[in-house]
Amino acid sequence: MSSHREAPETSKDPVADSTDVYAFVSPDSPKTVTLIANYIPLQGPAGGPNFYEFGDDVLYEIHIDNSGDGRADISYQFRFETHLADPGSFLYNTGPIESLDSANWNSRQVYSVSRLENGTVSELGAGLACPPCNIGPLSTPHYASLAKAAVHELRGGIHVFAGQRAEGFYVDLGSIFDLATLRPFENLHAQYGLNVFHGPAAGVNATAALNVHSIAIQVPISQLTRHGAGSESSPASVIGVWTTASRQSVRLWDTDNGETLSSGPYRQVSRLGNPLVNEVLIPLGKKDLWNSLPPSDDKQFASYVTNPELAGLLPALYPGVFPNLAALDASHAARADLEAILLTGIPSGIVPGFQNYTGPVLADMLRLNTAIRPTKKPNSLGIIGGDLAGYPNGRRVFDDVVTIELRAIAGATYPLVHKSYVPDAAAKAITDGLTPASVPSGYLSRFPYLGVPYSGFDTPS
Amino acid sequence: MSDHDHAGSPADPAAAGIQPEAGPSRRSILWGAAGAGAAGLAAAAMARTAPALAAATAPAARTRLPDAPANAAPAGEPVVVHLRDVRSGEMDVFAGTSRTRLRDPELAARLARAAR
Repeated sequence: MSSHREAPETSKDPVADSTDVYAFVSPDSPKTVTLIANYIPLQGPAGGPNFYEFGDDVLYEIHIDNSGDGRADISYQFRFETHLADPGSFLYNTGPIESLDSANWNSRQVYSVSRLENGTVSELGAGLACPPCNIGPLSTPHYASLAKAAVHELRGGIHVFAGQRAEGFYVDLGSIFDLATLRPFENLHAQYGLNVFHGPAAGVNATAALNVHSIAIQVPISQLTRHGAGSESSPASVIGVWTTASRQSVRLWDTDNGETLSSGPYRQVSRLGNPLVNEVLIPLGKKDLWNSLPPSDDKQFASYVTNPELAGLLPALYPGVFPNLAALDASHAARADLEAILLTGIPSGIVPGFQNYTGPVLADMLRLNTAIRPTKKPNSLGIIGGDLAGYPNGRRVFDDVVTIELRAIAGATYPLVHKSYVPDAAAKAITDGLTPASVPSGYLSRFPYLGVPYSGFDTPS
Repeated sequence: MSDHDHAGSPADPAAAGIQPEAGPSRRSILWGAAGAGAAGLAAAAMARTAPALAAATAPAARTRLPDAPANAAPAGEPVVVHLRDVRSGEMDVFAGTSRTRLRDPELAARLARAAR
C-alpha cells in the first residue's frame, strides 16, 4: 500500500501510521494548495463502539520545504483532544447526531492548528470540531452535510478539516502482496510451478469498503512558497511536502488510574512523502529508522531507490516479459530516473514544459510545482499520461500512483535520462488493474476532496 | 525534532517532597508526579544531587534537552527516569516535554537497589 502498515513499529500503532499524503493546486480554488495527510489505515466502517479517532497523544504535522534542503521551512501542527460527555455510558452516541454540537454525541474530538515557521509558532485555530465517524442512518443521518459543517475557515484564507473519509487510495493488496501477482497479468507469473493462474483477471480494490482519517488544510500558495506566486520554470514555485507523526519519548501504563501517561520530548515515529517509498523500496530492517528521520537524511537510503529490489524481481517473477529491464538490472546502472522522480524532483529539459526540481539534496518529498494550474480533464496517470498537474507533480487524490510507480520501476521512465534505452512493452502496460472508478465512494469536487466515508450500517464487514 | 542544550535550575528539595531512601515504592521511583505530596525519589534525587553537580562536576554531567519552552512537568504530570547504565550512572529524566541527561553513579546505585 502507499504507506499503510508499512513498517514494523507503525504497523502496531495505527493512530500514528501515516498512510498517504496529497498535495495539489486546488481545482476549484487555484490560488491555493490543498495538503492532505491520512492516518489510521484500513478502518472497517463498523468498528465500534470505540470508533476511530486521532491520537490525543500524537503530534501530527504537515511540512513544507520551500528552500530545497529537505528540512521543514513551514510546519502545520495538529493536536487533538477527546471529550466524553458521559463517561458512564458505553455508547459513542445516545441518539442521532444531527449537528456537531449534538447532545447525543458522547465521544467527540476537537483540535488545534498551528503554523511553525522560523521557530515561531502561530496558532491558527483551536477548539475546532471533527465530525463523528459515519455509523449509520440512525446515528449519523445526513452525514455528508454533517461532515461539511466540519470544514472550518481560518484567518488568512485557510480551510481545514480533520476527520473520517473514504479511502481514496486504490490498490490490489491481495494480489500484490501474494508475491507481486498482478491479476491482469497473473497468467504470465512464474507461479513457482503451482499453476494456479490460467488467464488474466480483473483487479480487486482491497480498500474499496474501508475508511481512513484525514487531516486536510487548504492554504494560499503565497503562504507556502518562498517568493509568492512564481512562473512554471521558477525553482521558487516548487514546494516539497511530507507528513510526520510524533510521540513523546516515554509512554507509561499507569495501572492505578488505568491510563497511559506520556512524558518527554516529541520524537518522530512516522513519515510519508512519496507513496510507496518506505513501503516498497526501503528494506524491512531500515523502515523504522527511515520513519524517524527527516527527508534531509535520505541520502543514506538512496541506493534502495536507484537500485530497487522490485526492479530485480519483475524479470524473475514474470519470465521473458521484462528482458530489457533484466539487462538494465544486470548493468547495475543507478536509476537516475527514479532518483529524479522521488528524491530530487525532475529538472527542466526532461519533460517538456515541466520541472519540479528542488536541487541536489536527496530527500523523499512530494514535489509540487504550484505554478502549474489544475487540468480540466485530468489523467490519473499524471505526467506519464501527459497531465503535468498530476503525480509526480504533487499528488491528487485520484492519481493512480500504483500504476505510475510500477511502470517507472519497470523501466518506462528510464528513457527520460537514458534516451537509447527501450523499455519493455510490458513496462508501459503494467498495472494492478484499477482506476479511480474502483473507489465506490468517488471523490468530492471540493475541499476536502476525499469521499464521504462508508457507514458501518451499510458496510458492515 | 532535535535536542537542544538548555540550562535548568535545580528544584527545591523541600518543595519536591523527598521520600526516605529506605522506603520508596517501585512506582514512586519510576514515576513521581510533580504535584504536592506525590513526588517520587526520581524527582527528589535530582534536586538533592543538582547542587553538588553544579559545584563539582563537568557541565556534561547534567544537561537538560527540551524540545519545547516548557522545562518542567506541570502539576500532576509524570516525571520518569530511564536509568540507562547503572555502572556509569547515566540516566535520562523525562518531565513535560523535556529530557535531562544525568550522570550520577550514587543515585543510579540507589535506584537499582530499590528496583530489585
